[in-house]
Amino acid sequence: MKNSFDEKILEEANDWLSVKQNVVLATVIQTWGSSPRPTGSRMIVNEKGDFSGSVSGGCVEAAVVRECLYLLKEKKICKKIEFKISNKSAWEVGLACGGEIEIFLEQIN
Amino acid sequence: MKKELLKEIIEKKKRKIEFAIITNLKDGEGCIFEKNKPLEKNFEKHEDKIKSQFNKKKNGVLEGTNIFVENYILPIKVIIIGAVHIAQYLIDFAKNLNFEIFIIDPRGYFASEKRFPGIKISNKWPKDAFNEIKTDQNTALIALTHDPKIDDPALQHALKNNFFYIGALGSKKTHDNRCTRLKESGFKYEQIKKIFGPIGIKLGGKSAPEIALSIISQLVSEVYKK
Repeated sequence: MKNSFDEKILEEANDWLSVKQNVVLATVIQTWGSSPRPTGSRMIVNEKGDFSGSVSGGCVEAAVVRECLYLLKEKKICKKIEFKISNKSAWEVGLACGGEIEIFLEQIN
Repeated sequence: MKKELLKEIIEKKKRKIEFAIITNLKDGEGCIFEKNKPLEKNFEKHEDKIKSQFNKKKNGVLEGTNIFVENYILPIKVIIIGAVHIAQYLIDFAKNLNFEIFIIDPRGYFASEKRFPGIKISNKWPKDAFNEIKTDQNTALIALTHDPKIDDPALQHALKNNFFYIGALGSKKTHDNRCTRLKESGFKYEQIKKIFGPIGIKLGGKSAPEIALSIISQLVSEVYKK
């Protein structure tokens, strides 16, 4: 069981906001198969591309940062993105574990 | 997510109040769900599903909707009767599993701070100790002394208060005798059979850490059956 009370990612988001940064919150909302981080796992990204927390075992974080920056650039409120196993090329973004995850991106405004 | 909602969430976390964050994945609108509090109008029609998801302690998208629920559930209270060797290993496992541990053992030489650093210990008899520890249906009891004068009052308290998990160490014979005593004290068969005795799932091991592992495995599996 996850003890969400001990996680400090939302507090960190609040700290970033207090120094006038734009923050996007990324949350794992669904998983299929074997995925490294459970539903509810979170990561935050600011407009500089700094990030904290995680939504996978390091497989898709870079792509999530890009998507978050795009969300800010487009001034969108929220968006859903999905990642599946990468089998075409080892260099492609994907989950080596063979799982699938759906992530919800939302601006904190 | 609105900044105001973020602040409200942080405040609730600080105050250790159980709640859930409800998010509409279509428009990013969100609100807080708390047991026994009215839900925001926009989310009212999903109230039953949200409640059931909260009770199951599961995070996820509600079936057939665009509503995402993330629960903030306080650690489950686990009361161990008997500051014995197995208890020392139980604590090691429980620490990583979001359980809050209390130990009750009136035998001071067992339940010492030195043997259990940083753990809440009561050196009172179970009956008195339970006056000081708030328990409910979300509490688990692990009775390890197999001494009737210590274990039995604790088991009686757990049965009366409907703990979701009650386990007692001891052989089949010890457990049969225990059941007879509880029956004589006025407990019904349906209640008594809720006790896991002999405690733990069958792993085959006999050492203290192996027994602790078998107990904690049973406890975790019961948490998810709730």
